[in-house]
Amino acid sequence: MLKIKNLHASVDGKEILRGINLTVNAGEVHAIMGPNGAGKSTLSNVLAGRDGYEITQGEVIYKDEDLLALAAEERAQRGVFLAFQYPVEIPGVSNIYLLKAALNAVRKQQGLDDLDAIDFLTLVRSKLELVKMDEEFLHRGVNEGFSGGEKKRNEILQMALLEPSLAILDETDSGLDIDALRTVSEGVNALRADDRSIVMITHYQRLLDYIVPDFVHVLSDGQIVKSGNKELAKELEKTGYSWVNEDA
Amino acid sequence: MKMPSTKSLTELTTPFASITADLGQDVAWLKSLRLRALAQFNSQGLPAKKQEDWKYTSLWALSQQEFTHQPDVSTVSAAQCEQLALLSDNYRVVIVDGAFSAELSHLDNLQQGLTINVLSVEQGLATAQPHLGQQIDITKAGFNALNTLLMNEGFVITVDSDVQVEKTIEVLVINTGTTANLATHLRNVIVMADNSQLTVIEHYVGLTDEVSLTNVVTEAVLATNAQLNQYKLQQESSNAFHIATLAAKQGSKSQWKTNNISLGAKLARNDVHTQLLGEQSHVVMDGLYLVNNEQHVDNHTRIDHTVANTTSEELYKGVLDDNSHAVFNGKVIVHKDAQKTDANQQNKNLLISRGCEIDTKPEMEIYADDVKCAHGSTVGQINEDHLFFLRARGLDEVTARSLLTYAFAVEVLNRIPSVEIRQALSAVIEHRLPQGGV
Repeated sequence: MLKIKNLHASVDGKEILRGINLTVNAGEVHAIMGPNGAGKSTLSNVLAGRDGYEITQGEVIYKDEDLLALAAEERAQRGVFLAFQYPVEIPGVSNIYLLKAALNAVRKQQGLDDLDAIDFLTLVRSKLELVKMDEEFLHRGVNEGFSGGEKKRNEILQMALLEPSLAILDETDSGLDIDALRTVSEGVNALRADDRSIVMITHYQRLLDYIVPDFVHVLSDGQIVKSGNKELAKELEKTGYSWVNEDA
Repeated sequence: MKMPSTKSLTELTTPFASITADLGQDVAWLKSLRLRALAQFNSQGLPAKKQEDWKYTSLWALSQQEFTHQPDVSTVSAAQCEQLALLSDNYRVVIVDGAFSAELSHLDNLQQGLTINVLSVEQGLATAQPHLGQQIDITKAGFNALNTLLMNEGFVITVDSDVQVEKTIEVLVINTGTTANLATHLRNVIVMADNSQLTVIEHYVGLTDEVSLTNVVTEAVLATNAQLNQYKLQQESSNAFHIATLAAKQGSKSQWKTNNISLGAKLARNDVHTQLLGEQSHVVMDGLYLVNNEQHVDNHTRIDHTVANTTSEELYKGVLDDNSHAVFNGKVIVHKDAQKTDANQQNKNLLISRGCEIDTKPEMEIYADDVKCAHGSTVGQINEDHLFFLRARGLDEVTARSLLTYAFAVEVLNRIPSVEIRQALSAVIEHRLPQGGV
């Protein structure tokens, strides 16, 4: 699904990613953990195609394609989904309009026609249930006046609707209380599938109690310094990140 | 006595006999009104850039044009008219190349207590007479004097006490482009009696790229507790000159809600003014301008809070692309007896290109001491985080930019209470964006 080879990326001439290597196979859930400033958000932004990052070395292969050669929207249309750490509020664009436009962009890439209004609404309603959101949210501006938890649920709603092949969840647990975390996690777990890979980026182990990963990687100073199974996350929780750097 | 075939506006300061309008030549009061306007225009001429109110808007291009006031015969079909109109199933006044068209208008079965006339019929002129020049000052702006001098047509609407007009009136002003360099001077009057309610949309369209001048003055008077929703959509040709004054006086508890949308014209200038004369009167003065290429739009607004306990809300938003130029000057004056005034004025601009220019000047003059007033202006660009979010959801960049531009603009339309009108105007704005129909 995803192969990251020796990826180096800089922002304003400062190297943030310093040789990332990571292979994610279909159906796997990977957690990338690390202290602040390790390069976690840079990695998710580079994978999603945000402007402002200079790739100085390495490559990213997604489904046999050079991911870095694609524009952000082309990646999304091909099934790469970034759940944002800080979902933006866009008053004036209704949630339902965004969902429809996003879904139709993906369908177009797949050679499918736009869904008609009734089929679309039926589909959206089923996904709303998954994240326990009221239909009223559809008609509000994108994230406009949403609470932190509602914003994150809205991200998972978009993911559920778009059914990506590769979902990157950037600090999805940040700003969530325990109930919201449970709802969001249940939504993500329901979306685990053999043909879908998930990369979770998180600072805390807490999220991994709810979404249990197959692999855990520790990112430090722009490199993956340790990989293991879910037990590694527990170890990190106990000892913090300081030993990682010493060990490396 | 007819107009000479073509004349530049500055050349109009020639003998009265040669430039009088056709309308009402045998009506003594009108003749004397026009004489005063002529004297005024002769002494004043067109506004110049050295005048503070015209600092950022040059009339040089306008003054170089020669205009005719005699339209050739043109035809607009009913079907065409239907297509151009913003709303269906409403009252409609249609003016084609400066002349009222009874055939194209929909004025049957008017609600009791509502009258709709035009200036070119005797009754309309008589109804308008006591109100002409009441809301505007011909000594202040050359175009008002010119309008008074040359007005030939316009709508005259009255609503009796306690009458709530259910249907909206759309005034569709069509410039067919059949006549090159046609100038039309329209004068409109709206008279709202106590407790009356009405919604009017002035809708200006051009069918070709022909040069034209529309010089329009609308005067409205709102008695106690009257409610007038007055919207304007200007989508004239890219070579049109559009000069408009919209002025009202408001009695106590009256509400005047305006929304002034400028999409067309090479040069558009709007002067919108109200005087809040009665306590608890309220005005909403909103506007939206979307300009591109070499378009120039200038909105000057003025709200006079003259008595205690009056309120005003003003939001003007603009989207500027290419080498367009927009001017906003909003003046809120709180007079010394206007205690407890609550006034809020905002001008927000979105710049799409590097070549555009906005000159924005929100102004408040406050002579009372117990008031709540806020004003401000912003100039910004598309938010990059918003853009990336939409692209990360699969929307291509052009569509995403259009959508964000629409989202910025639509805030102004969302303040319109009528769903039907809001949707109709939103659709017009959508089609105006680079990726029409987002």
